[in-house]
Amino acid sequence: MFELISNLVAAFLTLSIFSFLYKDNPFYKFAEHLLVGVSMGYAIPLAYENVFIPFVYNPIFLERRFIIIVPAIIGILYLFRFSKNLSWLARYPIVIFMGIVGMSVPMSMHSSVLVQMRSAMLPLDNINTFLIFIGTITILMYFYFSKEHKGTYGKISNVGVWFMMVGFGASFGYTVMARMSLLIGRIQFLLGDFLGLIK
Amino acid sequence: MNFFDRMQNLDRRWIYLVVALAIIVPLLIPFNSKTYTTEPSENVYKMIDSFAGKDNKAILMCVSHDASTIAELFPMEVSVLRHCFERDIKVFTICFMPQSAPLVDYAINTAKEDFPNIKSGVNYCNFGYKPYSLFLPILLGMGDNIGEAVETDAEGRKVENLEIMENIRNYEDLNLVMDFSASGSVISWITYARVKFGVNVAAGITAVMAADNYPYLQSGQLIGMLSGLKGAAEYEKMVDVFAAKGKAFSKETINNTWIKITGNDIPTKFKKARIGMNAQSIAHIMIIVFIILGNIGYFVNKNKKKG
Repeated sequence: MFELISNLVAAFLTLSIFSFLYKDNPFYKFAEHLLVGVSMGYAIPLAYENVFIPFVYNPIFLERRFIIIVPAIIGILYLFRFSKNLSWLARYPIVIFMGIVGMSVPMSMHSSVLVQMRSAMLPLDNINTFLIFIGTITILMYFYFSKEHKGTYGKISNVGVWFMMVGFGASFGYTVMARMSLLIGRIQFLLGDFLGLIK
Repeated sequence: MNFFDRMQNLDRRWIYLVVALAIIVPLLIPFNSKTYTTEPSENVYKMIDSFAGKDNKAILMCVSHDASTIAELFPMEVSVLRHCFERDIKVFTICFMPQSAPLVDYAINTAKEDFPNIKSGVNYCNFGYKPYSLFLPILLGMGDNIGEAVETDAEGRKVENLEIMENIRNYEDLNLVMDFSASGSVISWITYARVKFGVNVAAGITAVMAADNYPYLQSGQLIGMLSGLKGAAEYEKMVDVFAAKGKAFSKETINNTWIKITGNDIPTKFKKARIGMNAQSIAHIMIIVFIILGNIGYFVNKNKKKG
């Protein structure tokens, strides 16, 4: 019974969202607003249960670890973002958070720059590494703006543009595939789980 | 008004209708197509399979997506879990998004239905939802002691007391993290877990994210990758061909084996991505036809205006 009702609700909301493809209408608006509301309504109690209770309430009130009050107050400062006069207070937790993010800089340098550079420095013994070499050099030249892009330099940097276009094409192709997959997923639900037509 | 003029001025809703039919018809009338596996998917399979039957090895599945991308990522999660259950591989799951928590349960329950002997806390353990603010402390903490970093599982049990934790202490044992994500979260596992602890990282990602992650695959920082519905279909096939029959992976076998998706006893839940790929193929052909027609129409009209 529960499965039947949940499938009915899911099918109604799916069709409501799809109705936008014909034109904007109240069913679409209803489903859209419901999604936002349900997402927030689901996340808030879950965060309360999994964050506030174990990391704020229990340590302070049950375990008497009053030092927790300090980070709790720093966290509360985020809420001053909504005050016109006191919004500057929200900068303090942001500053602390940025400091933590800074910890990732050396490791990001390693994984996103150094290792990637090393993997681009390969012996030119096959067509793939040759293409990587040409692509890397010409794209770097395209993004070097201290020299005007004309003459031989312009032609070489133009090759970089072609490499980027191929990259964007690959990204776009994957995006089309992803969007189609989402549509397929919904139609699989409507035809299979809801109507039972897919065996 | 000739054919190309009409195509240029076609109401977009007709295109939606054609695309919808291109998807609905192959789903209602399924056909068998050969799923070819690619090296990134094979590498994920081989790495996970190398842990088969080993008490001191395990994998961690980090689920970082919500319901909007289950069409692509859910079949991957079910396939990987099925692989682990078939081959007696210890598997842990964790999520840092509130919306992912019910999806993890759903994936485990879907895969587990066919394995009555698989038990929570013994063969698998769901660490459950952990707040995103604990992402870094948990990720780094697991490098020293998983039990201390995660503390409790989704059922509220002390992780260190669970049977599955025997011989599993840190990343040296939990040697593969697989991130299922619709965002760039896999980069965080590479940046912190791989760089600092040398953990093997694999990705199960939506097709949109695939192009962004290929550089990490090429540099070897990702040991393998499942990209979108295609990646899920490939993994489903490998599990059917090898894990379900207790065989070791062989490139030759996978190339020569054609698992039919119609008229066999494989449950729909274990071939959902492959059924979806049929519709995907037809829809792609339709899109290519539309692009070609649109371009021909554009150039015909352009020449007409010039003339």
